[in-house]
Amino acid sequence: MADHSYKEPILTLRDISMQFGGEVVLRDISLDVLDVVRPGVNQGQVVGFYGRSGIGKSVLCRIIAGLLPPTTGTVQVANPQRPVCPGDVGFVQQRYPLFNHRTLLDNLLVAAQRKHALTEAKVKVEDFLARFDLAQHRRKYPAQLSGGQRQRAAIAQQLLCSEHLIILDEPFSGLDIAMIDEVKKIIIEVTTSNELNTVVIVSHDLATTTALSDTLWLLGPERDAAGQCITGATITKNHQYNLAEMGLAWQPGIQAKPEFVQLIEHLKDEIRKS
Amino acid sequence: MLKDLFVPNAKPRPSVFLTMVGCQVLFLLLLWLFYPLQLFPTLGEVGTSFKDLVTTQGLIQELWASLTTALGALGIATVLALGISYLTALPFFRPIAYAASKMRYLTLTGLTFFMALLLSSGHQVKLSVLVFGATVYLVTGMTSAILTTTQEEMDHARTLGMSEWRSFYEVVVLGKLDEMLEVVRQNFAIIWTMITLVETLYQSEGGIGLLLYKQNRYLHLAGVVAIQLVILATGAAQDYLFAFLRRLFFPYSELSTAK
Repeated sequence: MADHSYKEPILTLRDISMQFGGEVVLRDISLDVLDVVRPGVNQGQVVGFYGRSGIGKSVLCRIIAGLLPPTTGTVQVANPQRPVCPGDVGFVQQRYPLFNHRTLLDNLLVAAQRKHALTEAKVKVEDFLARFDLAQHRRKYPAQLSGGQRQRAAIAQQLLCSEHLIILDEPFSGLDIAMIDEVKKIIIEVTTSNELNTVVIVSHDLATTTALSDTLWLLGPERDAAGQCITGATITKNHQYNLAEMGLAWQPGIQAKPEFVQLIEHLKDEIRKS
Repeated sequence: MLKDLFVPNAKPRPSVFLTMVGCQVLFLLLLWLFYPLQLFPTLGEVGTSFKDLVTTQGLIQELWASLTTALGALGIATVLALGISYLTALPFFRPIAYAASKMRYLTLTGLTFFMALLLSSGHQVKLSVLVFGATVYLVTGMTSAILTTTQEEMDHARTLGMSEWRSFYEVVVLGKLDEMLEVVRQNFAIIWTMITLVETLYQSEGGIGLLLYKQNRYLHLAGVVAIQLVILATGAAQDYLFAFLRRLFFPYSELSTAK
């Protein structure tokens, strides 16, 4: 018996293209994230999203989050599927924005109150403060938090009010090894706490991100028959990797496996070529 | 210690810094006391003039009259400027904010004449000129503060499911209140510049501007310097008060600035 199967779609992108002032930035992007089911495990989804700097990753993230309407194409989320609206998808941006005029507690409360009444929201926030090891900092303003605390707070804030989807833009950049482990723990906790929870990790840290993921997307330019780059980045079928099917997902210590090392080298080559 | 005072970005101890400021002030006073300029009144003359202004010419009462007028004008101008600036969220109102900002180039004398034709009482003219003058400067500063709002800040609010209005309220209105107070503090000085002029045009209500005008007219240089120093001290006290209010109501505002 297979150790996993797929159920309903969680995120669907169809024929996404984006132009700015006539310049094609993204083109023909079609992607699916399906609910992966593993017997006896609450298994959410983790998508690693790679691409060279300036290729259009942030633009695609903003489109997925419903913050930027694409020039053509559709983004559907939830079950049953419906067009994405701002607020459906949590988006933790690179610099972990929080409301600087609110304390940490208020930052989380304002997010929790989107889905819960005040009393219930307070209980939820207390739970998140404890889970994210932030309880002792509740009265602090964002400017008083360290980078790691700020990042955890930003993730907690988005989780408190978004549906099941969350995008993390460069969650490992600038963190020491202990903090990276902590963020990895948070991602695993999030994706194993609900079957439908899905985290898209935009990162340049291939090894760390791939080890956490069950799917990879590689954004880059496609080449035509003559070998010339076609304008606008895309994610071709060849650059959509199903790590679960490849036997490279959900395994502790996967980074030591030769297949994993080969895959990372292959990804590096593909990124260099793009 | 002392050498910290001459090292770039150094952080001397508060006691060292205060001592340095005290010494600098004392040095200036001694210079003024022992090496008076021919045209400039001596420290003694200014002191005597100050005493005379307080005891016989009602300096304190005139200062109070000007201060209350200035505060009243500032209050009205702040409300107006906040309204105009926040309305820039709606494209329909952006030309108004743009025009309001550009009106700071209008001359005060021409404006006063125009206001006098429109309004009946001198007080109203005085107040409206001050409100107008302060509003156009405040709108300029406030719209600049609003324009510093980043895409990231707005996106952050939107990803939390906030509507466009709620995002604007959270990020721009609540998020920049401390900056608005700073804009008000910086532009309060412009009211003092204007009030001294306006009070000379409408003399019925007195004010420190009129007192200054009289001292000028009769060439009482010591009196002029004394009044200027009083205005300077009042302005410094106002600045301190605004900084205090900012710390009190917006404790987060100074957390990310370099110390």
